[in-house]
Amino acid sequence: MTKITPDFAEELKKYGDDTALICFNCGTCVAVCPLISESFPRRLIRYIQIGARDRILEHADELWKCLHCGLCTQTCPREADPGEVILSLKRLTVATWRNS
Amino acid sequence: MFTPRTIMELLADNVRKTRNPFGLNKAGLNSWWKDSPVNQDGETLLFTGLMYQLVPYIKAATRYLEKYEDTPAADYLRYGKFIPKPLVNLGLKGISSRDDRSEFNTILCNIVKILQSSGVSFGYHPELDEYSGVLLYDMGDQENFVEHARYVAEKLQAAGIRKLITVDPHTTYALKVLYPKYTGISFEVQTYFELTSLHSGDVSSEVTLHDPCFYGRYLALADVPHDLLSGLGVHCEPINTSGAFTTCCGGPAESISPRLAEEVGRRRVAELQATGRPIVAMCPICLAHLQKSGAQVEDLSSILVQFVA
Repeated sequence: MTKITPDFAEELKKYGDDTALICFNCGTCVAVCPLISESFPRRLIRYIQIGARDRILEHADELWKCLHCGLCTQTCPREADPGEVILSLKRLTVATWRNS
Repeated sequence: MFTPRTIMELLADNVRKTRNPFGLNKAGLNSWWKDSPVNQDGETLLFTGLMYQLVPYIKAATRYLEKYEDTPAADYLRYGKFIPKPLVNLGLKGISSRDDRSEFNTILCNIVKILQSSGVSFGYHPELDEYSGVLLYDMGDQENFVEHARYVAEKLQAAGIRKLITVDPHTTYALKVLYPKYTGISFEVQTYFELTSLHSGDVSSEVTLHDPCFYGRYLALADVPHDLLSGLGVHCEPINTSGAFTTCCGGPAESISPRLAEEVGRRRVAELQATGRPIVAMCPICLAHLQKSGAQVEDLSSILVQFVA
């Protein structure tokens, strides 16, 4: 059972770009991502959209696999800036760790 | 994979206490300039950001990380921040290679020769040359990044520095884009190759350029080294994954997962080697990681210095 946090996207604005909600999950970012694993970063953006905050934090270590290479941002047809969204999630996770 | 929180807290602790991510003594880390005649004065400063100097230590540390990834011993890294910094310094110095330190110091000396031969007026002041903090930013440690960036920017500002010449993409991005945004302090920032003006000589060669992500995408500077080399008679064999669509060398993942970094690096090397031309990098992280992934790679400065009269 995953708890849903409906205002999660709003909370994330404190940590960076406000672009996750404009993504339409086409998967271009997954196709170009050098990690080639488990639908990264599309899956994480989808979690933001549905408010699955806890799900992201449970598997937060995965965020640091991101190389911050920016290829997903370069190719995103919606200019949803997936690279910066991942960076925002890292900042949110670090703040959560340090406040816990 | 190592625990990101452990790695990040270790790096942040080192930056807070020593102003560099490895906890190294700066006098020992930054000694290349002693072999290079450079003025100390001037409002234009050569700013290395210590990245080339750090690479021999990154290579040494990664060799150990590779051994312990996903083993029970990896957990002991969390105690790293309790080791006194002089001991860390001694240990890293001991395991890093003298040849590596010499190779990366020579690159900086070559860059000085290139700038001087191009008629660029600049100074170098080792006291003002600091690590930019960019790794903290990439890891999401915004609080420590901003604190460190303010320290560096205010120090440069107090010394009357207005223009900076940079030598690597990560430091360039930090100073040009992140510092104005997060510290409110701006400098005029240019890479050394934007200022390079050399004459074509007898050297004729063909290369394949590996554009780093930060020059290719974030700073949109990939055309500059390409055009510079073409103007000197060096043919750059085109590849599809270049410029804004370049692909990562894998180096940035080394501290979190050497295994992942190796996999990404192997794929990039295959793309670059497909041309059959010598590979040229222009970022210390890319240079070291592509070499580690099995490629013969030279730094851009090693090509350019051949045209210095």
